[in-house]
Amino acid sequence: MSSPGAPLVQGTRLGDIARAAMPATSMLKLPGGTLFEMLAAAFLVFLVLIALFVDFIPGLVSPKFPYGDFSQMPDLTLNGLLGTDDIGRSILSRVLYGARASLTIVFVATCLSVSVGLLLGMLAGYYRGMLERMVDLYANTMSALPSVLVVLAFVTATGTSVGAIILILGILDIGTYARVAKAGVISQNNRDYVLAARAMGATDARILMKEILPNLIPALTAVMPTLMAGLIITEGSLSFLGYGIPAPAPSWGGMIASSTDLLSRFPVLIVGPTMAIVLTVYALNTVGDYLAHRLNSRERGN
Amino acid sequence: MSEDLPILACRDMSCQISARPKALDVLQNIDFTVARHTALGIVGESGAGKSMLVKSIMGIAPASVRVNGQIMLDGQDLFAMKPRDRARFIGRKVGIVFQNPMTSLNPYVPVGRQIAEACRQHFDVPRDEARQRAIELLRTVGIADPEDCYDYYPHHFSGGMKQRIMIAASLICHPDLLIADEATTALDVTVQKEVLDLLQTIQEQRQMSMILVSHNLGVVAGRTDEILVLYGGHVVEYGPTSEVFRNPRHRYTEALLSAMPHMDQPTHTRLRTIAGQPPSLANKPAGCPFAPRCGAAEGPCHTTMPDMRTGTDSRHRFACHFPLEQTVGPAVVSGATDRGARAQ
Amino acid sequence: MTGLKPYAKAVSTRILAGIPVFLLVTFGATALSSLAPGSAAQLILGDNATAEQVAALNSAYGYDLPLWERYLKWLGNLLQGDLGQTLFSQQPVLDVVFDRAAVTFEIAFLAMALSLVGIPAAMYTASHPGGIADRFLRSLSSLLLAVPTFVIVVLLSYVFAIVLRWLPATGWANFTDDPIANLWYVALPVICLSLHQTAYLYRVARNEMITVLQEDFVQVARARGLSLSYIMLRHVLRPSMPQILTVMGLSLTYMLAGSFVVESYFAVPGIGWTVLTAVKSHDIPLVQAILSLTVVIFVIVFMLVDIGYAIIDPRVTVS
Ligand SMILES: Nc1ncnc2c1ncn2[C@@H]1O[C@H](COP(=O)(O)OP(=O)(O)OP(=O)(O)O)[C@@H](O)[C@H]1O
Ligand code: SF4
Ligand SMILES: [Mg+2]
Repeated sequence: MSSPGAPLVQGTRLGDIARAAMPATSMLKLPGGTLFEMLAAAFLVFLVLIALFVDFIPGLVSPKFPYGDFSQMPDLTLNGLLGTDDIGRSILSRVLYGARASLTIVFVATCLSVSVGLLLGMLAGYYRGMLERMVDLYANTMSALPSVLVVLAFVTATGTSVGAIILILGILDIGTYARVAKAGVISQNNRDYVLAARAMGATDARILMKEILPNLIPALTAVMPTLMAGLIITEGSLSFLGYGIPAPAPSWGGMIASSTDLLSRFPVLIVGPTMAIVLTVYALNTVGDYLAHRLNSRERGN
Repeated sequence: MSEDLPILACRDMSCQISARPKALDVLQNIDFTVARHTALGIVGESGAGKSMLVKSIMGIAPASVRVNGQIMLDGQDLFAMKPRDRARFIGRKVGIVFQNPMTSLNPYVPVGRQIAEACRQHFDVPRDEARQRAIELLRTVGIADPEDCYDYYPHHFSGGMKQRIMIAASLICHPDLLIADEATTALDVTVQKEVLDLLQTIQEQRQMSMILVSHNLGVVAGRTDEILVLYGGHVVEYGPTSEVFRNPRHRYTEALLSAMPHMDQPTHTRLRTIAGQPPSLANKPAGCPFAPRCGAAEGPCHTTMPDMRTGTDSRHRFACHFPLEQTVGPAVVSGATDRGARAQ
Repeated sequence: MTGLKPYAKAVSTRILAGIPVFLLVTFGATALSSLAPGSAAQLILGDNATAEQVAALNSAYGYDLPLWERYLKWLGNLLQGDLGQTLFSQQPVLDVVFDRAAVTFEIAFLAMALSLVGIPAAMYTASHPGGIADRFLRSLSSLLLAVPTFVIVVLLSYVFAIVLRWLPATGWANFTDDPIANLWYVALPVICLSLHQTAYLYRVARNEMITVLQEDFVQVARARGLSLSYIMLRHVLRPSMPQILTVMGLSLTYMLAGSFVVESYFAVPGIGWTVLTAVKSHDIPLVQAILSLTVVIFVIVFMLVDIGYAIIDPRVTVS
């Protein structure tokens, strides 16, 4: 540090810290994100492709029926790659079909909560008043209760079925989406383009759909991956506890639960489903963080 | 520590922000000294790099900024010190008052404590004595009931009061240099003058040096001995305050001066404003940074960076290819512009 | 600063805001029984029950009444401190819940205490951003946040109970009966519960501190040459606390409501475990009571959080 050219390495502004604090992979800046974030996004695309086309993977056996010996160690065949479970079913097949189950449930539930949440949030933000208070109350209530407890409470009354699980998971995040949408609408209510549209006699519906809605999309997209990751975990926990997708349909949580009985003798068999759920949640969180970060820096830039 | 050694000397200093696709030069070729017991005014538009200059001197530039060159504080080369020693050294020698008094004080800590903490750390002053010193300073800067105010939190005070408290805090270690970075910009006009006068009185009474940063020439007029005009990260003019006011040589300084209201103007005359925008960091002009907005710009202005020249007064320097003529005439601005004039 | 006023206000605002939440949740819980296919009694008794048995149970629990009436009756009983009987053991629901709550609370508070290490860790890494420790803890916390508790539970019990045999995988002893055995049994559940919690608290605390570090008053403190550790302790920690407290409050509520995965896996007889047995037997009164209890816990915890704000922030007169 004795030469006059020595840099002063100390400082605290957000942008600098965010830059300094990124993992070393940020050196490999790719358009739009770090290598790491691109990998996470690629993994999610891969997962969606699996979920869509798992039926067409040549040679993959059914996830529901035994195919080999009980608790077979992994080998280099396609179906035996991750071993077989306690009744001889291919774990790889179950992991891949489990991806379809998890993604379907989470996707449908998210569509449900986004559409209802968006509608409620937009109306609440635009008209305020009683509706806004109702939305707040709902969001507050849902945040006071752990999601697993909410789902279990419903399951107590309804019993488990895929339809019920999807419906209940869909209810969980309505409040959060509604709140995000509401905040977005409120921040736009007095913007020039909204006032101008109103002055020109546009109907409320038109203003909401044409002027306001498009600007809500980025914020909603940014919270979506993280909330979806939460749903994956909730759904996994339910299946683990035995209240998720009814057997024999494959689910990651259920597979982990059943492999715990064999854990002392065949610990390897838990690797497949564990990796599947951890990687999925990790990838969703990474993409979510990235989107939130992008959104924040763009808002600061404006 | 000899008396004629300047308190602060920046030699060929520059600041770069590491960014993509290329690093951005925020400050280039900064050269100036602050002699003991004198005041320097640093003037420039928003974005000229004034705060960056101050932060670089204080060692608190953002992590992404590289500071090059040499900074001598009280005869010591700052970059030759270990970072920890450097921070302590600067903290003891220099007091600083920032632009925004509303955010410069920690809302969670009683103000007295925030004043006293530096001397507690740097000189191991016992708690009670530090308290007494802080109370004394609060009285100096004009806070009523300083004993009670010691334990108040910042939200109990108005903006002007907070800035006075910040000034008190900057004085606790008996610094040799006081830096005020736009210390009054955020205040009401009437309060601005009070705080500026307080700064000046304190500087004179305590025989300190001072750097007064402002985007307003009127603020530094009458309160400084020398003045440094920054434009687009370059020093464009630097000299004794009276000289620069009377004989601006750089076109930008002249534009600034004529954008300044003065008293012998008939009321309601339009102020000349400087058309155009200051250069952005990403695409600075190749030649003189002021060329895109300069009425007198010609060929070399757009291609070559003008060198520093010296005026008839050897302390007066400026960087312009086509400087204004030396017009030793009546003062451009009515009234006093430097302290010599004011004292007369 | 003005005596007890901010605290009284914190308490009253939270209670007022909590009432509609409580009513909504308890009403929802009462409505649950209407969701049952057929009737609640049919669901509870199963397919082999006779019509008389079903009718008897329906009238005993009021499942044949209209929803509103049933809910008002439940509220009326609540005011007399009566939440009904559990379906199977026929004990007063409140007694069962309070018994279980003690167990869950022990685990939750221990886990919360353990997770507090996240705060000093955040102080260190926030003041050395980009350093090795920062990068390591950042990756570690991202990873931990992606590992669901049920995976943590399985992995840790494999390592500590099966491979190393340091800690018991299941079992329980009451603290009042045998404190040592209690701590022994409680260790793994607490560690499992706190891992996620620590990662989350660390993450939030670090980000909040990084934000505070950009404040002008920190720049001032740095310009004055104050040491980094002093700045972190005196100028950064306290302004970060409101955010940290909020997160702690939310997690504490969730943990106090029962840690379903941890309690079921380690056979800890707490609230989560009770809920799971209640779900299996469709014990609606018990689930209803636990939902109500959770809301009450939420209100109390956030009352404490608000009081915490008032203590921490001199400006607060509680909004
Ligand atoms: N952390 C940073 N990252 C990127 N650019 C920065 C950063 N800080 C400052 N800059 C840029 O450096 C230049 C100089 O900024 P500086 O704050 O020093 O200007 P200033 O003269 O103090 O202006 P003002 O009168 O508005 O305070 C500006 O162009 C600014 O955009
Ligand atoms: S160098 Fe040229 S462009 Fe720059 S101020 Fe002088 S005359 Fe104008
Ligand atoms: Mg500035």
